Amino acid sequence: MPSQANQPLPDGYQLQNYRITKVLSCGGFSIVYLAHDENNQPVAIKEYLPSSLALRKEGDALPSIAEENLATFRYGMKCFFEEGRALARLSHPNVVRVLNFFRANETVYLVMRYERGRTLQEHIQARRGAMKENFIRRVFTLLLNGLREVHSNKLLHLDIKPANIYIRNDGTPVLIDFGAARQTLTSEGFKLNPMYTPGFASPEHYQKRDLLGPWSDIYSVGASLFACLAGAAPQAADLRMERDRYVSATKLFAGKYSTQLLETIDWCLQLDHLQRPQSVMALQKVLLRERDPEGPRKRSFVANLRSTLMRLARR
Amino acid sequence: MKFSIYQESRQGPRKANQDRVAYCYSRDALCMIVADGMGGHLHGEVAAQIATQFIAEAFQRQAKPQLEDPFRFLFDTIMNAHLAIIDYANERGLLETPRTTVVCCIVQDGLAYWAHVGDSRLYLIRDGRIVVQTKDHSRVQMLVDSGRIREEAVAHHPERNKIFNCLGQMAPPKIDLSRPTALRHGDTLLLCTDGLWSPLSGRLICEALLREDIMSAVPNLLDLAESRAGPDGDNLSVIAMTWAEELLEDGDQWISTVEMDPNAYKTTVVQFGRTSQGGQEGGYLSDEEIERAIAEIRNAIKKHSS
Repeated sequence: MPSQANQPLPDGYQLQNYRITKVLSCGGFSIVYLAHDENNQPVAIKEYLPSSLALRKEGDALPSIAEENLATFRYGMKCFFEEGRALARLSHPNVVRVLNFFRANETVYLVMRYERGRTLQEHIQARRGAMKENFIRRVFTLLLNGLREVHSNKLLHLDIKPANIYIRNDGTPVLIDFGAARQTLTSEGFKLNPMYTPGFASPEHYQKRDLLGPWSDIYSVGASLFACLAGAAPQAADLRMERDRYVSATKLFAGKYSTQLLETIDWCLQLDHLQRPQSVMALQKVLLRERDPEGPRKRSFVANLRSTLMRLARR
Repeated sequence: MKFSIYQESRQGPRKANQDRVAYCYSRDALCMIVADGMGGHLHGEVAAQIATQFIAEAFQRQAKPQLEDPFRFLFDTIMNAHLAIIDYANERGLLETPRTTVVCCIVQDGLAYWAHVGDSRLYLIRDGRIVVQTKDHSRVQMLVDSGRIREEAVAHHPERNKIFNCLGQMAPPKIDLSRPTALRHGDTLLLCTDGLWSPLSGRLICEALLREDIMSAVPNLLDLAESRAGPDGDNLSVIAMTWAEELLEDGDQWISTVEMDPNAYKTTVVQFGRTSQGGQEGGYLSDEEIERAIAEIRNAIKKHSS
């Protein structure tokens, strides 16, 4: 947690052709505002403002950046550009759309389409998990269309979690916040550290970052699915690697959801990245019930169980 | 030290320039770097940029005013540049590591030491002849070595672009080190990417350098290579350095380092096809680069919005 909080731009502030309406969220790297353009259309504006490097005091528009932080601030800006570049290339109904990108107040701004709705996180909190299977399948199947587009552009999202999955009022999901795709500053004492959300980040996020791949985003999808059922994330992957206390969804929610869905979740949440679905396509087929999940151990376990039951039934 | 030096990088007919070149020198040592980011791979120019910048910065830190052990420097720094590229890809979650060739040459105490990975070359040209030249780490070079094809056939061979050794690859790169080579007055060291050597023969290069000094010969060679390669040409980059005995040459084009502060250095980097000069400063993004990045993103937004 940053020790100092940055002051957001005040409501009503005119930022080029946008007028700030209110702050939507405030993170360690950036602030997101709701604003309206000259045609009074709502947009979401993300401001690059890492609080460890640039401090904006109340009443100022310009942040003050210490001389020694300037290079790192600029370096981080490069990563913000990466996010802009990544998103600019993606035009998909289930991926947030970038509308504009500009420079002002000694920093840079990313303007995105503003979507009405709420995050999956809010949906989960409202229902304390226990979401309907049909809703879950529909939302995630659409969401995976978006994620497939991301991966086919040689990008990884790396911060998929219910808070970054936005559900529009018409029920369709949008993948938001591509900020993690740019967190690259770990070496040489850079002050911006890679960000991950405990519970949703894969084991590769913590160590062995050279193993990051589509399967890492898939782990996070699995954890998000789990949260839809349980109301909370599974045990964090770094702790699981020390002592795995993850109770399989198959066991935990038996009878409440279809076995096929539960096995799919367990499949995504395998610690060994090779044991997970290797592509979004593979996962999608399972969610659409075109295929069965194939968590190797689990499958044989279930197969064993099934044959045991069959044997018992025959007696 | 006294030398004259010329560097240039051209985009050629390609969509982007993925080559990077830089040289830096202190009072007693000179470092020249040419890297050719690999186009078939994502972010080739990033790999070339990291390699060039990494080596140049290491040189600036260590050459005060000389390197302790030039070969050790070449080996360690190139290997670390390789690791820096891998780190970059890992941290960014790139599905494929960006790759680059590199050829780097150090001159100190009148001796030249060089190392290369891939098919960017170094030539030592003396009295109008190529005395030494690096051997490409490429499939065609292997064919030449085994006598299957002739040297002249390399330029047109369909597999001429396939190299088996580069920075950013999965296995650690094989770093090919030269022998320490004494430089004589008038010797020219020429480091270049395949965009330059591929359309030209060694003889053409030597003849050009016999007729004129590097300041006029090298731009002419670039013109010639560009026109010979035509629309299928590559990025082309070169650093040429002619060595002089301290007292024998005089004129604007000669750089003499005798009066430099032993802790100072000068660096010249060609980025994105333009030359930017830097002293001790090492900022990551200039205002111009920010403006360019923004323009690029805005264009992409325009292009992809329907």
